[in-house]
Amino acid sequence: MLRQSFLKTIATLLPLLFAAGLANAQADAAAATTAPLLDSSAPAASAPAGADSFKSLDEEVQALKKEVLDLNRELFVLEEELLFPANTQVAVFVSMDVGEFFALDSVTLKLDDKEVANYLYTEREAQALLKGGVHRVFIGNLKAGEHELIALFTGQGPNQRDYRRGATIKLEKGVGAKYVELKISDKAVKAQPEFIVKEWE
Amino acid sequence: MSQSSQARLPLRASVRLPRFALLALLLLGPAVCVPASLLVGRPAPDFALRSLEGANVRLSEHSGEVVLINFWATWCGPCRQEMPLLDEIYGKYRRAGLVLFSVNLDEEKDLAAAREMAKTLRVSYPVLFDARKEVSRAYQAGTMPLTVLIDREGVVRYVSEGYKVGYETRYTEKLRELLNE
Repeated sequence: MLRQSFLKTIATLLPLLFAAGLANAQADAAAATTAPLLDSSAPAASAPAGADSFKSLDEEVQALKKEVLDLNRELFVLEEELLFPANTQVAVFVSMDVGEFFALDSVTLKLDDKEVANYLYTEREAQALLKGGVHRVFIGNLKAGEHELIALFTGQGPNQRDYRRGATIKLEKGVGAKYVELKISDKAVKAQPEFIVKEWE
Repeated sequence: MSQSSQARLPLRASVRLPRFALLALLLLGPAVCVPASLLVGRPAPDFALRSLEGANVRLSEHSGEVVLINFWATWCGPCRQEMPLLDEIYGKYRRAGLVLFSVNLDEEKDLAAAREMAKTLRVSYPVLFDARKEVSRAYQAGTMPLTVLIDREGVVRYVSEGYKVGYETRYTEKLRELLNE
């Protein structure tokens, strides 16, 4: 919300700044075009002066755009820090290390018996995971103490059969952010996917 | 004695009630009855749903294309009338970059009937199922059928609630504008 109101303000100011710059450029161009009347020996001075003012206006606009992008990024980080402070933040990530035994379709997460995430993966997203991508499927706040995370995966297992597997994780939430990675990995010995839970420090 | 010097009489209930109703409407109105037309000009809510063929489909993966989303249900008579006409529009403008998603809102117990209806109507566009009603809530699908047109930048540009003969002409006009942008 903070980011959106700030972006609205920038969107309102940007045309005004552009108009002001344009007015300055026009004033410069007018001054440059009147110069030959006073000094007929320098008629070509107006063209480079106009081009220079346009170039500086363009540079100003580019600089302003860069500033807006930088501010947007900072606001995004600030928004996350405000909504999910480090002392209560918990984030769950999904990654894959399979190809043969499990085609991922969806992930459902339950935290302390309450559904917090339900994500359907498209083919493109599943391919991205197979290529090493990591997906942040959930970010939220948790009080310090013991919590239970249940992850349910659905997909297609060996022989194109629909497959559903679950993993239950006991989370000990202390001070500081908690990051949990749920890795789906091939288990070639059993020809079954297995779910490895990893907590990041 | 002038009117201003008279003691103020308490308001009658018949006068108090409309004021109370107005206050309740102002406070609760946005939560109770927000029309889908308010989505126009806003970014289209992203979603991912399972399709009739089994694959998952995500709206944001079609950024850069013009998307028409049609919400329907098996109990909706005008929906049955509209769907074959949408199929014609899809057949005509698909090659020009039109993407059409048909989102079914039947309950879990009626999904088999929904699948059967989609197969009977032989529509060629993807049919998606929103049994959890998350997408219909995001698009405020209160009136059926609901048709939403989204431009190449993911902004909702046109919303049509209900269906009457001739509405498909409006859809065609609007989507031609968007395809030409």
